[in-house]
Amino acid sequence: MEAIRVEGLSKTFQVKRKEKGMRGSLKAILHPQVEKIRAVDNVTFSVREGEILAFIGPNGAGKSTTIKMMTGILYPDGGNVEVLGIDPVKRRRRLAYEIGTVFGQKEQLWTHLTPYDNLKFFGAIYDIPDRESEKRIREIAELFELGAFINTPVRSLSLGQRIRCEIAASLIHRPRVLFLDEPTIGLDPVVKENIRTLIKRMNTELNTTIFLTSHDTGDIEKLCRRIIIINSGKVVLDDSMEHLKYNVSDTPLENIIMEIYKSQGKGEAV
Amino acid sequence: MKKYTVIYRSVLMENLQYTANVAMGFVSYFVFIFIFIQLWNYIYDDPRQLIAGYTKEQMIWYVMITETLWFGTRAAAVSSQAATDIRGGNIAYQINKPYHYALYLLSRYTGEWSVRLPMYALLSAVIGFALVGGLPGFGLLTLLAVIPSVVMGITIHAVFKLSISFFSFWIEDSNPFQWLYDKLLLVVGTLFPIEIFPEALQPLFRLTPIYTVCYGPAKLIIDFSVEKWVEILIAQLLYLAAGCALMFFIYGKGVKRLYVNGG
Repeated sequence: MEAIRVEGLSKTFQVKRKEKGMRGSLKAILHPQVEKIRAVDNVTFSVREGEILAFIGPNGAGKSTTIKMMTGILYPDGGNVEVLGIDPVKRRRRLAYEIGTVFGQKEQLWTHLTPYDNLKFFGAIYDIPDRESEKRIREIAELFELGAFINTPVRSLSLGQRIRCEIAASLIHRPRVLFLDEPTIGLDPVVKENIRTLIKRMNTELNTTIFLTSHDTGDIEKLCRRIIIINSGKVVLDDSMEHLKYNVSDTPLENIIMEIYKSQGKGEAV
Repeated sequence: MKKYTVIYRSVLMENLQYTANVAMGFVSYFVFIFIFIQLWNYIYDDPRQLIAGYTKEQMIWYVMITETLWFGTRAAAVSSQAATDIRGGNIAYQINKPYHYALYLLSRYTGEWSVRLPMYALLSAVIGFALVGGLPGFGLLTLLAVIPSVVMGITIHAVFKLSISFFSFWIEDSNPFQWLYDKLLLVVGTLFPIEIFPEALQPLFRLTPIYTVCYGPAKLIIDFSVEKWVEILIAQLLYLAAGCALMFFIYGKGVKRLYVNGG
């Protein structure tokens, strides 16, 4: 069964442009210039339930914009999206119960509260009864090994501990699809490996569909069975990891990806 | 509704850790009130004199109550939080949760003022009783009757502030509009009662949020009457309904234009 179906998805942003210096600033007031940038351009793909997919591309390729349209945060200009059969534009709050999101560079946790209080909070937000919420917190704390710092305010945690809590908070409502936008950014190799193990366990034990964006080829190689490369808002490759490696077996994945980026020209999308 | 109560409770827990920070703001409140007490003491020659229908005690208490509301309900949740979330991209986390973002901010705000306002009210009561004396006719029953009007006034204020905040979906910074609204409320609504302004302007002020946000609750505290209470509550209900409609409309239109950059 398809967990995600994306057809002809497009999004254009209008970005203000200004010439340099004071003269440019004054000119921008009288004659504002707006440039249209096609961040996502007719993107089509689908993801099967239980799949771990790497959705990668250079900075500004349109990865995050695509994720934000799939989660109902941004409204597409064209095309269709369905996540678990739900249209994110029309039924964003309904979809919220079925999906989880982790944006590696953003915070969803309440930093003055402890991980336990945060998990309780998110449990209530997702309408989980108290007793069930307690049970899930115990399970998640065990899975993510949060026990040692579950009662320490989030602001006092290390980055690695915080990211573990961020992912844990996204799982309290047992989402069927998890969107991970650079979850291992800024983490040291040991913590990265721990996070990868957790993602893998979520996938195998809970059959969670994982939609992952990352610049770390380690994440992609160790977790994903399929890879989609996006550049300048367009899908330039959609292939299985096995096939990709089989074709160019001597070349490290990082070099293969680099070659694909270069051959397509680096994107300028938002 | 339960989830908004949970948001409120979480903010309350968070803010209870920072009561010392709130107390730091007492200094500017005290200086402000002290200046006004001296000013009205100077203006009122005779203790029995009435200005615009207010005794000296009523006039000073009016300023103290409206300033308590002003200082005790100032919070980022309704003035700059939306703009910060939109600019920083954190809105991505807020609007894909199963709650309404506007109501989430409103719950946050209620949690914030629930800690600040009682602290300012207590300080105000101490200063008032020490420097001005008690309010004739004010008792526990008046206080209980006025609480719904105070809460409604603060909520109306929040709804209008949030409506302005949501302009951030279109423009980069809604602060200039916030500034205009705040100054209008501060100068016209909190420093003097409406009756002190020229008669020609009074009907106009009664149509602005000033009437329901600060004048109404303060007037009820210093000069309570059932007729006035009913009149103000009806005006507040109408204003709250109109304000909510405006807020949801602006949010609904704005969120479709959301532009989140930087990954």
